[in-house]
Amino acid sequence: MIRGVTITLILGLALLAVAVGLTLARSPMTVARASGAFVDTQTPIAATESGADYCQARELLPRGTSAIRVSLFASIGPRVMVTVTSDRRTVASGEQASAWTGGVVTVPVRPLARPVAPVTVCASFRLRDGGVTVLGERTSAAIAARSAGGPLAGRMRIEYLRSGSRTWASLIGSIVRHMALGRATTGAWIVFVALALALAVAVLASSLILRDLP
Amino acid sequence: MSGRTATRGARPARTHTLAASVKAPRLKRVPRAAWICALVAFLNAACWSLVTYAFQAPDEPSHFAYVKQLAETGSLPTVGLEGLSSEELLTLDGLRSEEVREEPQNRAIVTQAEQSQLRRDLAAAQASKGRGSPGAGVAASEPPLYYAVEAIPYILARHASVLARLQLMRLTSALMAGLTALFVFMFVREVLPAAPPWAWTVAGLAIALTPLLGFMSGAVNPDSLLFAVSAAIFYALARAFRRGLDTAGAVTIGALLAIGFLTKVNFLGLVPGILVGLAVLAARAARVAGRSAYRTLALALAIGFSPGVIYVSVNALSQRPLFGLVSAAIQTVHGSPFAELNYIWQFYLPRLPGTVDDFPGLFMAQQLWFRGYVGLYGWFDTTFPAWVYSVALIPTGAVALLCGHALFQRRGVLRARAVELAVYASICVGLMALIAADSYHEFPALDAAYAQVRYLLPLLPLLGAALALAALGAGRRWGPIAGTVIVIVFLAHDLFSQLLVAARYYG
Repeated sequence: MIRGVTITLILGLALLAVAVGLTLARSPMTVARASGAFVDTQTPIAATESGADYCQARELLPRGTSAIRVSLFASIGPRVMVTVTSDRRTVASGEQASAWTGGVVTVPVRPLARPVAPVTVCASFRLRDGGVTVLGERTSAAIAARSAGGPLAGRMRIEYLRSGSRTWASLIGSIVRHMALGRATTGAWIVFVALALALAVAVLASSLILRDLP
Repeated sequence: MSGRTATRGARPARTHTLAASVKAPRLKRVPRAAWICALVAFLNAACWSLVTYAFQAPDEPSHFAYVKQLAETGSLPTVGLEGLSSEELLTLDGLRSEEVREEPQNRAIVTQAEQSQLRRDLAAAQASKGRGSPGAGVAASEPPLYYAVEAIPYILARHASVLARLQLMRLTSALMAGLTALFVFMFVREVLPAAPPWAWTVAGLAIALTPLLGFMSGAVNPDSLLFAVSAAIFYALARAFRRGLDTAGAVTIGALLAIGFLTKVNFLGLVPGILVGLAVLAARAARVAGRSAYRTLALALAIGFSPGVIYVSVNALSQRPLFGLVSAAIQTVHGSPFAELNYIWQFYLPRLPGTVDDFPGLFMAQQLWFRGYVGLYGWFDTTFPAWVYSVALIPTGAVALLCGHALFQRRGVLRARAVELAVYASICVGLMALIAADSYHEFPALDAAYAQVRYLLPLLPLLGAALALAALGAGRRWGPIAGTVIVIVFLAHDLFSQLLVAARYYG
């Protein structure tokens, strides 16, 4: 008779394999459009310690956008609301809860069936402690993002994200190629070493479970 | 925890055992399952070391710089100097580190052109003159032991590129993950001696598969050694509580204290609880062995505090602050003691009625600590989709309920071992208070500067015990199945965390 532990282990590993398969069948979010030229290193264009409503006009909301990524930097970010308006009418909105970290905040929004332009994108938040820095590229005041205090030093970096057309599974080849770069020695072998290690971990853990658990 | 344990705890202390003479048999007494858990943890951290892009773990450039300075010049870096060596800066430049760090929209280098540029940068870096790295950023104020250990792979690979040295150093850190899992297994075996051995295996395996342990131990960071030392101390204390404090035990705890002091400043948070534990153990041993028990205690303290005494003496002679970085922290007056206590409380727990809200709109336990444990990698820039953190509450709640059930079933034993549990709790509180107090020095400019779960990983042995109890809480029939599920959940968490990190840098 097969032990309960064996059945649980087989079921668990099978579920794990299914979950990995389902993940690989999904498409990663891709950037449908980004405001301004792509720049890796962004410049601080504004900072606040009390909160603000930063709005940027002359934007285009691509069809199917399911999240908007705004370049705001915070150590522990506040709750952020993003609204997209066209002719003073809200066409999309969403919010991200507090406690995000790093140089961008991604706010989910309901996707639209067609693109809308021009739109104004506003990112709003309130602060009591800490600070938030707005990142982007320096521009003339005429086209710069604005807050209640007037124009900022440039335009915010805003990216419009939607599901890509390719699945994670179809991207494995390029991921393997990318993973081979930026190392002491190049070559896809590094990926296979990592896979072998992950497999060894799973096999060792499973065999120990089968050996020790009654 | 069992009744059997309570009676075993009264065993008389052996006061004249030589540690050296029992070393080999003790190693042989380590169960095979513990070694396998250690191997799993090492392999897992080694895998993480390949998945994580170079220098994209917290403060890794600074820690690398410290090792470079120590290995190449034999001297420590200068506190306050920010600049890294030109060799390291050129490498960071070639890797586009600044663009990738904290900018999850930016990937690692992905084209052959960028790779060629990196090769040129690495060649230029190797040709660059100048030894060492006088500046080591945030790492400069840390004690030197971990860096001295990492100097060995660094020197072995000194003619290779920065990236080859970094990889070898990461693998050395991975070894420490193995030690952590080994000592967690041994700790759980000591605190739950009456539990079936499979419960120890569940704890050891789950900790070995903890993604944050793999991530941090797959990088160059003294946290990896701190986790191992802390787990070893928990084990040594648990062993002493069960068998009494003998000379070998005291020497071991003293040596581990010394290693801890030499590993990372955060270790100071564990010290008050360890001292309480030693005092309790000495008092218990004195009932049987009389005054000699206090000589054993003195021996442990003398060994443990010897690095501290040397450090203070050197500072006194060189007219620097007596306790170095700690002196500055103590002297920094920042708000009232009540305000600080209030901050420390809210750093982990909900605000008490009538107190000032230091974290408005934030539920620290869930939004920072729990989310940080579930998934926050890289330079705190790599996260799961929001729904994952909500789903993760389900297994966490189930483990908490099962653990609570097991503790309730064993409440009699808990009462009998209340002092021992209080010692572990005091270690826990000491570390948590230190992290919160450090963050308070940065407040309100930064809300919670050090609210990072990695700082709590020295408490992994307690998590291991909780997981073993959770499996036991499912009962005799379902316990092994619950244990299997716990290990699979940790395996899945680990696997998806690595996929997340791979997708973030190379996707």
